Amino acid sequence: MDVLDLARLQFAVTGSLHFLFVVLTLGLAPLVAIMHTRYARTGSTLDERTTRFWGQIYVTNYALGIVTGIVMEFQFGLSWSGLTHYAGDVFGAPLALETLIAFFLESTFLGLWIFGWHRLPKWLHVATIWLVTITAYASAFWIMVANSFLQHPAGAVRDGDVLRLDDFGALLTNPSLSMALPHVLSAGLTVGGFVVMGASAYHLFRRTPDQELFSRSMRMGIWTSFAGTMMVVGFGFAQFGPVTSVQPDKFVDRPAAAFGLGMMILLGHLLQLVALVLVIVVKWAPRWRFLHPLIVLVTPLPFVAAILGWIAREEGRQPWMIWERLKVADAITPGLTGGQIILSFAGFVGVLTLLTVANYVLIVRIIRRGPHEIALGENPAAPAPALTF
Amino acid sequence: MEILWFGVLALLLIGYFALEGFDLGVGLLLPVTADRDRAIGAIGPFVLANEVWLIAVAGVLFGAFPACEHALSANYTAVVLLLVSWVVRDMGLWFRRRLFARAFWEWVIALGSLGVCLAWGLFLAGLAGFSFPFGLLYGLLIAALFVLHGRRFLDWRLTGGGSPLVTGALAAVPALVPLVGFAGAVVGNAAPSATLTVMTFMVLPFVPVMAGAQIWVWRAFGKGPVPTYF
Repeated sequence: MDVLDLARLQFAVTGSLHFLFVVLTLGLAPLVAIMHTRYARTGSTLDERTTRFWGQIYVTNYALGIVTGIVMEFQFGLSWSGLTHYAGDVFGAPLALETLIAFFLESTFLGLWIFGWHRLPKWLHVATIWLVTITAYASAFWIMVANSFLQHPAGAVRDGDVLRLDDFGALLTNPSLSMALPHVLSAGLTVGGFVVMGASAYHLFRRTPDQELFSRSMRMGIWTSFAGTMMVVGFGFAQFGPVTSVQPDKFVDRPAAAFGLGMMILLGHLLQLVALVLVIVVKWAPRWRFLHPLIVLVTPLPFVAAILGWIAREEGRQPWMIWERLKVADAITPGLTGGQIILSFAGFVGVLTLLTVANYVLIVRIIRRGPHEIALGENPAAPAPALTF
Repeated sequence: MEILWFGVLALLLIGYFALEGFDLGVGLLLPVTADRDRAIGAIGPFVLANEVWLIAVAGVLFGAFPACEHALSANYTAVVLLLVSWVVRDMGLWFRRRLFARAFWEWVIALGSLGVCLAWGLFLAGLAGFSFPFGLLYGLLIAALFVLHGRRFLDWRLTGGGSPLVTGALAAVPALVPLVGFAGAVVGNAAPSATLTVMTFMVLPFVPVMAGAQIWVWRAFGKGPVPTYF
């Protein structure tokens, strides 16, 4: 492997790890916000435990989303300065807007939500989780604007040997964006729905004490994954028109892209079928024990489909960094040495992979221990045993 | 317009040093801190709101001064050290109460904090063309100022001592020096005015929300019982 291959692989691995966490964040955020709103209205212990349990999973998942995202952002400067040199005047704007008007707020509000239990006024505390949700979606919007620009450099004109911003509106109405954004957001809902019903199925199958809590969560998960799969498949097929209008041969003679696309569609339909069957029997599903191991078994599949989707989208762009404007090979930082890329590869891919494994071990452990040992929102005034989570 | 965006960049970088400085300082102090639960509890609610200032710095650099981005690849090793240290420091905080032994993650937090300080020294000195040993010294100076700031913050938060404003200003000095030195070069490398105008137009309505959210964090967590999440 040469420097270019390593730089590409580094971006692909960190990007895939990032999206594994992001996609669950996007799906869980609105669900946790709904749970918290319900708790604020009823004040019931059941609603409180539900919110804190899923909130703890949401926050644990979020942590790796942040640190992988940090590495993603700086990699543009480290490995791909040719992209910035050629198109920074256009491509940099959505990235800057994402950090300032989306992520800056998301991170600040998330801190307020995590540490605001028993401290912020009830409804203001609920407002923070809704603000986290809105800013997470705004963040997805700006990142998709930036990515869509790579697929189809709308709104930019050539000026000598660089691109200049010509029409900001065209950046936001990019045909590569219009259907892809709702596709990504509904992929988030699909993942969120499957995780919620998968973890609930585990507890229901094991007959742990919180049967009512997990029965309700399972129904919420089923409805969410039903809505998510219907939309993700719908918007997925709706993408073909606009995408092939600007990238006609995206899936032609690009085996990796075609493979990713085919497998993703296959998994998408499978998950759609699962969600459809479950939504029909949603009333009884929490009691039908034979279903539960099957539900647990399919939980990883939406994550796989999400990564396959990105492989289709990004492999379908090769060999271009910016479609028919700049090649990936010309976007790499000039003079980047093998030693440098090996150093950062070991640092980023090595450390982030270890942390990813550790984080999933932790999430699985939180799910297994259930809602009676949750650190998030524990009352410091109450005499409680030493809680681990 | 270039001047305005340079002001934004400078404010964010100075804000990062003044705010994240005490988080890193408390991290550096952990090996000699008796009650580490309370020290980490004191910075806990601020970390997410503080570290995000640097993410915003990077965003403004890419959006408003893309031609300056080569500063990152020109100081490749320092930036990699900064990112890896930052990542492990963060994960130390998230994992400390939850995986393996607490003492392990406390060392990770301390070493991660040290790595971030040294990386800043190497990066900022590297920008000015200074040698590696000078960069390390500059990093140690940053670490020393952050330790001072972290101690002051803990005093203020836990025992009702004076405010950490002065030490915060001191902690920002290592960022201020290169900002002044490179002001001309950065402003001269700004994106064209079309890009800057669009960004100004988009960001302006959110400035009060951003400021309000940050102030809210300080009002909510500046006093009262120390939370235990991290």
